Amino acid sequence: MDQSRLIEIVGNAGVFSHPELSESFSLDQKLILPNMPSVLVKPRDVDEVQKIVLWANETLTPLVPVSSGEPHLRGDTIPTTPDSVIVDLSGMNRILKINRRNRLTLIEPGVTYSQLLPELRKEGLRIAMPLMPRANKSVLTSLLEREPVMSPKYQWNLLEPLRSLEIVWGSGDKFWSGSGVYRGEKEEDWELGLVPVQGPGPGQLDFYKFVSAAQGSMGIVTWASVKCEVYPDSRKLFFIPAEKLDDIIDFMYMLLRFRFGDEIFILNHACLAYILASEQDEIASLKKILPPWIAVVSITGGQILPDERIAAQEKDIQDLAQQFGLRIVPVIEGCHAGDLLQLILEPSTEPYWKLRYKGGSQEIFSLTTLDKTPGFVTTMYSAAIEHKYPIPDIGVYLQPVHQGVGCHFEFLLPFDRENQAEILRTEALFHDASHRLFKQKAYFSRPYGIWADMVYNSDARTKIVTKKMKDIFDPNHVMNPGKLCF
Amino acid sequence: MALEDFAAEMDRCSQCSYCKWIPFDQMKSWRFAKNCPSIAYHNFNSYSARGRYAVGRSLTKGQSGYSDTVRDVVYTCLTCGSCDVSCKVCRYNLEPLEMVRELKFRLVEDGQKLDEHQALVDSLNKESNTMGSPRSERGKWADDLVLPRLSSEKVEVLFHAGCRFSYDKNLQETAKAAVSLLQKAGVNIGIMGEHEMCCGGRIYSMGYRDEFTRLAKANITTWAKAGVKTVVTSCSDGYHAFKRLYPKLGSQVNVFHTVEYLDRLIQEGKLKYRSEIPVTVTYHDPCHLGRQGEPYITWEGVEKKIKGQIIVYEPKKPRYNGAWGIYDPPRNVLRSIPGVELVEMERIREYSWCCGAGGGVREAYPEFSLWTASERIAEAMATGASALVTACPWCKSNFMDAIETLGDKMKVYDIVDLVQKAI
Amino acid sequence: MTLPKHVYKTLEDIVGSRNISDDPAVLDSYRYSLAHTAIHLGPFYDTFTPRGAAVLLPGSTEEVQAIVKLCNKHKIKFKASSTFWSAQGYPSEENTIQLDMRRMDRILEIDEKNMFAVIEPGVIGATLQAEAMKVGLNTHIPGSGCSCSILASATSYFGSGPSNLYGGCYYENLLGIEWVMPTGDIFKIGSLGSDCGWFCGEGPGPSMKGIARGLLGSKGAMGVFTKCAIKLFAWPGPKTLPVEGIIPAYRVALPENFRAYTVAFPSWKAWADAAHLIWDTGLGYLAHRQFNMFGRDLKFAMVKILTDPTKTLGDLVELLDDPEVQRITEDSMRDFQIVLVGMTPRDIAWQEKAFDEILARTGGWKVEAMNAPEIHDWVLLYLIRLGHKNLNLVFGGSYDGCFGLLGAVDYGTTHVEETAMFKKEWEKRGAVVQAGGDCTMGPIGGQGGGGTGLWENFTCFDPHDKESVVGTLEFFDAATILGLERGWGVGMEKWNSQNRGPDGKTTPKVERDRIHIGAPQPSVFRYQGKVREAFNPNDLGDAYYETLED
Repeated sequence: MDQSRLIEIVGNAGVFSHPELSESFSLDQKLILPNMPSVLVKPRDVDEVQKIVLWANETLTPLVPVSSGEPHLRGDTIPTTPDSVIVDLSGMNRILKINRRNRLTLIEPGVTYSQLLPELRKEGLRIAMPLMPRANKSVLTSLLEREPVMSPKYQWNLLEPLRSLEIVWGSGDKFWSGSGVYRGEKEEDWELGLVPVQGPGPGQLDFYKFVSAAQGSMGIVTWASVKCEVYPDSRKLFFIPAEKLDDIIDFMYMLLRFRFGDEIFILNHACLAYILASEQDEIASLKKILPPWIAVVSITGGQILPDERIAAQEKDIQDLAQQFGLRIVPVIEGCHAGDLLQLILEPSTEPYWKLRYKGGSQEIFSLTTLDKTPGFVTTMYSAAIEHKYPIPDIGVYLQPVHQGVGCHFEFLLPFDRENQAEILRTEALFHDASHRLFKQKAYFSRPYGIWADMVYNSDARTKIVTKKMKDIFDPNHVMNPGKLCF
Repeated sequence: MALEDFAAEMDRCSQCSYCKWIPFDQMKSWRFAKNCPSIAYHNFNSYSARGRYAVGRSLTKGQSGYSDTVRDVVYTCLTCGSCDVSCKVCRYNLEPLEMVRELKFRLVEDGQKLDEHQALVDSLNKESNTMGSPRSERGKWADDLVLPRLSSEKVEVLFHAGCRFSYDKNLQETAKAAVSLLQKAGVNIGIMGEHEMCCGGRIYSMGYRDEFTRLAKANITTWAKAGVKTVVTSCSDGYHAFKRLYPKLGSQVNVFHTVEYLDRLIQEGKLKYRSEIPVTVTYHDPCHLGRQGEPYITWEGVEKKIKGQIIVYEPKKPRYNGAWGIYDPPRNVLRSIPGVELVEMERIREYSWCCGAGGGVREAYPEFSLWTASERIAEAMATGASALVTACPWCKSNFMDAIETLGDKMKVYDIVDLVQKAI
Repeated sequence: MTLPKHVYKTLEDIVGSRNISDDPAVLDSYRYSLAHTAIHLGPFYDTFTPRGAAVLLPGSTEEVQAIVKLCNKHKIKFKASSTFWSAQGYPSEENTIQLDMRRMDRILEIDEKNMFAVIEPGVIGATLQAEAMKVGLNTHIPGSGCSCSILASATSYFGSGPSNLYGGCYYENLLGIEWVMPTGDIFKIGSLGSDCGWFCGEGPGPSMKGIARGLLGSKGAMGVFTKCAIKLFAWPGPKTLPVEGIIPAYRVALPENFRAYTVAFPSWKAWADAAHLIWDTGLGYLAHRQFNMFGRDLKFAMVKILTDPTKTLGDLVELLDDPEVQRITEDSMRDFQIVLVGMTPRDIAWQEKAFDEILARTGGWKVEAMNAPEIHDWVLLYLIRLGHKNLNLVFGGSYDGCFGLLGAVDYGTTHVEETAMFKKEWEKRGAVVQAGGDCTMGPIGGQGGGGTGLWENFTCFDPHDKESVVGTLEFFDAATILGLERGWGVGMEKWNSQNRGPDGKTTPKVERDRIHIGAPQPSVFRYQGKVREAFNPNDLGDAYYETLED
């Protein structure tokens, strides 16, 4: 590949030949035939990104945008076409603005959680976070991927807290979605309220939806405004342990209905063990002592009468729990609430918690409604039995989203990356379980890898429509070809 | 008045469609949320008050002409007045009910009549009743009652039976019971017997203004001659005509519905119950007793503007929005009867659903009339009541016809029937 | 009849003879005299929308699909509307078939646990709310009130209203959608397309719900939406509203966990500060500057009229002369209404305290006169059910909103006084109601959780009075010029005119192009043009779907 044009755009220091692909931490990467990229390019700003994309259109070179650091688990950043160029945005890592009044932060794609959280805290803000993301995970990418956040009450729609974006479409057009025309570059704009607070539009198309969960196949996002929440003056976390998942479902529904609790989710003992353990050999013993199922509820006090708020909500949650024959407790065997709270408010330490047990981990995740989750767990376990995969190893994470209308459910299947038999077994289980869950009406709204085929082959109209939109925003199909239904 | 007098309203209609629903504040379910039978059945916008404003506008501007459809649009209006109530939750300068009446008058004046109405018109013209029966038989319902007849005696309180009660053998007992109850309570009450004439209410709501005026003037004159000071009736249509329409033509009598009288008499202890009637009932507010039964105040005035463009009236115009209709007296009466449990339907009082009999609809659109009644029966059944009680013979007979057609078991009573049973 | 006979006959076969009409008088009841979304300009201009070719009442998605396919075959434009209370619901071109969606009015499902409802286009806010309340849920209702179609507001227009703050605006609450596309293909969006139910409108992958609507919907110009799911939220109140009172002064006495306040502030800055603190704290169930739509000078007097069944507009002057009314009017100059709802007694107790704290910090106060029980209970019912929005037109039968100042509240509060005083000067000319200039109404929180505001300045006039109409238009032109001079852009007074001109028909292309090219991002309309080419190749909608061709 002639790299001279790229060097012209980003400079010598921004072009890398023959970059190594990430190690395969997840099996789904094996199911996409990886093609080694020929070049990795690191743009510094949106103008360079735009020039790269225009060049790609001229030369019909596939581009694969990446913002986060390694490991990449889902295969969306693995090229499927020869001579792809990785567009590495991790160098565009400025936090452009944090505005307390409007509770907005403006960030570039390379900004990670570990970078952003302390800066927000200084301004009395925080962000609705996913569960212990990798420290080098791009905040923007996480939001674009529609990774579930732990606080469903702040999710007014599934893309929250993502707001306005600056996008370079696959055609090379630069565009601002939402109220992104207010870039907030002038201080007086903030005083006057000319701020990028809106997500939808502008106009009658919802542009940011087209780059959401698109795996970089429509365009490259170079800037985003993100809605923040206040950093609470005080917090408390509680556990609601249960022997059976069914026992806590209705209780969770009541919390969601009343919007009590801030971070709320359900883990099984294995998943919690993976989160808590700092050493691999702790995991087995933790699994033995932790309750089979644990609902986690944290309460935040905000910045006005925080202690009173926490006291009131704690009592109300206690009353609710009692109605369902449950208890809320600050300690369970194996874990203190304070310890877990510390963990979930930060990105994961190394090794990434999902990889702690065996070094490799296959995720199966999907969307459903909370009431259907026990059925999916049963299906997963049945498949595991058939494939002789140890059930105690399966991590289960249930995350209500969109204020309780939906629920993200996730199964973690740890495997030893050095053990071929485990790899094969896990791969077979992954395939089989994915299909079974799909047949059972699990909604694979983020269709990575084999899920894409499953989903698009059964929803012909969505496939046709999505392709037409692709033709509009990426007419030469340069953006991450081979993903989704493209 | 003329249809053109509503030109301003035609432009000022909000086009909000509030006229198609009961007042939203009162909605308790999806099932019983609608108020206007004609649009609920026909669905086209033109079948609502809002739509009729637009149709009226189109006709008066010469943008369209008469057709079968236009006749249907106009004549399927029951003139129940529910649109008027809902509109006036917010609007103070529109009169949708007056407008739809004027629309009917215009069609009749222009010869756009319905053949199906002709029999009733002829009956009124020839026999002074709506029932197609000989005038000479009008008083027979009271033959076995000892009552002063106003043809030969001066009586201050007149019981006006009405066409329906006079001739419908299924209903005559109710009329007898009403007048007997009042007599028993010491009211010196007489009747016109065969000299009674139709109140004209029905023909008015069908669009025949001249025929109404003729009947009304005749009645007013007759009463004056007979020294009548008070008219009592059990027919809500008649009640409305006497109370709301006659004053414009110079009538000065006091007007009561039987239930008002009964309510007062029961509270004064002049009627005592002897038996219990263990029944769960629900009460249907007749349009002409409820929302159209408000006190009438004569008004002459003009429109004026304040604050630039706020439309008001000089002098202040009385407002008829159903607020002060006769709702509590019938309920008081029902609650006073030992054993009777009253449960309410969802659409009651000023936002009650029409029985489907009025406006000439029963005569010209029997299927639609039946449907309207059956909707009300369904609503009554949803309360769990075993009987539907009302205070109008038109409502009662329409409900009874619907029940018979549908094979339902719900009983229908006039409120007087229950009082009579208990006494 | 402008439709060929065979076409009319085929349509009749689709919907049944009862459900189609081309009678001119009926068609005239499906026309609108228009300017903006909700009002009319009177008879003095030829502003009525074109007469439709026919009006149909489809009863099912299958019928809608058959109609749309037929329209494609014969290249006939079509336009659907549910309640016809918006200029957007009417054709802009001659020979357009009108679809009245009224018959498709079922609430198909209320999923109590997962808090959503599946509805057809004819379902209005009031009936869904009534049904939802039976199971302890509530629905967001758009600012135009509960007489409006939820589906229409959610899929096809805007969907902002007083309950944005807690309930989310319709943009946010729209889940799965069933859409008969302009070609007649049926598109089931989100989880529905994957046959996984209605609960999710996004995905799979990039969310094609983004074609159905952006900040705004397609205003009836891109096919017909036949079903959708709408997210609901908690209603910790009685299963039916225990309404009391004599019409129109209905009121509701709700349990102690429901409180309605009108609060006012010493400055616009304090007003904005309070909005931010409310959002930061996450309290409030509804928050709206509602009654100010009557005008700064008239609002309290109007509240007195509306809460007294013996009063009419004729009592207004007398009330305005009352010193106590004057005092309260002055007191509530910079106000808004808020409803606090506690999910539990402890919750409401905390919210009350926190709200008092916010008032203390911002120097705000509760307008005590609005706390009188009959007024409080009237306000509560009014805001929860939002069934009095015909009051927008109470004075003379017409209104339109001007300015708008959509954006962060600091933006709106910076400029609202200037817009108010500008209008107040124009009010003196007599063409519009003299209401004190500031007649701005809008949500405290344009979206879930807050963050933005809208300042629709109500301009009330008489559509039957030529001078009033002419004067109003002159004022709107002046308002637009002011907005452009100040950099606020074109205000709400002209939002309709980029689609439809004063002759009721599509704004000429040259004018539309000028407007679109002058927008901050013309490419928005170019992309919309490409989407229209892709999904509406026969161009059977109208210019309410705004496009710019290359």
